[in-house]
Amino acid sequence: MTKVASHDEISKSLRAFVDGYNRNARLKAMNRDWNRTVLVQATDIPSQHTLVLRDGELTLLEGAAGEADLTVTAGSDLLADLFAGEITPTEPYLDGRLKVLGREEDIIRLDFISLMIWGE
Amino acid sequence: MALKRVLPLRTVVATSVGLALASSSFVAAVQVASFVAGDAAWLAILVAGVLCTLAALCFAELNGMLPSAAGLRLWLGRAFGPGVALTVSLLYMGVLTGIVGVESYVISHIMVVVLPFWSPAVWIVLMLAFVTLLNLRGVKLAGNFQDLVTYAVLCSLVVMAAAGLARGHGSLTTPLSPGSVEGFIRAVAVGIFLFVGFEWVAPLAEEVTEVRHISRGMLVAVGILGVTYALFTVAMTSLVPKGALATSATPQVLFAGRAFGAAGVVWMAVLSLAASLKTFNAGLISVSRFMYATAREHALPSVFARLSYRYFTPWVAILTLFVVAVALSLGVLWTGRYLVLVNMAAAVESVVYALVGLSVIVLRRKEPDLARPFFVPGGMIVPLVTVVVFGVLAAAVLATDRRALLCLVLGLLLAAAYVRLVVPRLRERARRARLARRRQA
Repeated sequence: MTKVASHDEISKSLRAFVDGYNRNARLKAMNRDWNRTVLVQATDIPSQHTLVLRDGELTLLEGAAGEADLTVTAGSDLLADLFAGEITPTEPYLDGRLKVLGREEDIIRLDFISLMIWGE
Repeated sequence: MALKRVLPLRTVVATSVGLALASSSFVAAVQVASFVAGDAAWLAILVAGVLCTLAALCFAELNGMLPSAAGLRLWLGRAFGPGVALTVSLLYMGVLTGIVGVESYVISHIMVVVLPFWSPAVWIVLMLAFVTLLNLRGVKLAGNFQDLVTYAVLCSLVVMAAAGLARGHGSLTTPLSPGSVEGFIRAVAVGIFLFVGFEWVAPLAEEVTEVRHISRGMLVAVGILGVTYALFTVAMTSLVPKGALATSATPQVLFAGRAFGAAGVVWMAVLSLAASLKTFNAGLISVSRFMYATAREHALPSVFARLSYRYFTPWVAILTLFVVAVALSLGVLWTGRYLVLVNMAAAVESVVYALVGLSVIVLRRKEPDLARPFFVPGGMIVPLVTVVVFGVLAAAVLATDRRALLCLVLGLLLAAAYVRLVVPRLRERARRARLARRRQA
């Protein structure tokens, strides 16, 4: 049976991701000119979050806010594990469990940020 | 919340056509012509185009169902398992790199005709270095540039073909009688090479305003390519003897010179250069991103997952590809055996199309509830015909070229052995490193 994470668990993982990012001065400097809005949504529970990157600072908002440059869609359990750094995004992306819509270079940048925060 | 996805249908068509339209295509077009009698190559090219349309329909169903930049890798993985998907993808990427080798061979010979002060080897290194630099800096020859170049090349080819045919007073030799059935099948099989790449537009599924644009774009692109190649090939064979075309690595330049003199040669060189730069750029981007993603899932050494901190491009993968592409291109230049790579590409492409048809059949049974925005009409007929026809065409290409067959079998064995023996070790090493990091943390 597929495991289901709660909205709060996804929020907790996303907060860990945002904290990890904002603690990394190098990442902040590298993304100073990369202003993007990322919608994170679960497929199996009603859960949406928005990551907003402006002038190098990353913030987390509840729900969908504004027009997204990237959308990250997956099962709740996968999202919780992914943003907590428990798993790398590549495998679920390649087997279709994780869907990321947006420009290719933006997808690679997001992957790079996750790599810098959580390692390989 | 809406997504700011930006590519219109016009760009999807231009990308699909642009990826297939390369300088080396004309070498394959002449090979098609050499398998049939008189000026009947257009028949074989159009039949190859119709067959590619069947494959395009199968791609459209899979792409609508699972739209992803991972494309083929994802579909084959869902249908046949990750091992088969990785093996086929490795072989496919190897052949794609081979096409860069053929392309650089052809374009370097064209440049030597127009600007003879450098040797082909220097041109090869210069052009590949230029595209590598663009790739390292993350510059994509896409969007409006891609549209402009592709439509300019297409219009030029059609106008030149029409003018060439007019110069020959439209007198064609047996345009409706292609000769032996065996020759015609071989011509159609090599004709598949002319369309190689139309499906590489599928990874753009994540960047279009509507996923259906990809399906429509591929079908329109195959139609445009078929008509353009058919016209241009008949114009070439009607104006220049087939023997002269077949012994040249730059048949399109021979034709342009015969039809329009020095101005035609220069214009054809400009068109070929634009087409080749697009092909190099698309090839290097596709293969380097594939290497990056494969390294990120620990199926290639992790060094290939290194990204530039400034441009966010996989610089180790790009530089490695540059070295491999230069070595391959110089190897082709030294041996002159570019047709082996053309035949290998046609065969691998046919195998991939057959597997895509088979994936449609398997996934309809395995995952019947997955939403399919596009469903190939006619039940299992189209995917089944795709499997059989492209299987036969792959065999037909390889039957004409033993070297290509040998290289392909060796490549397949190497890829399969790598996936079975090396990948598990790389993954185990990565798992241990991750555990060690966690313990430290």
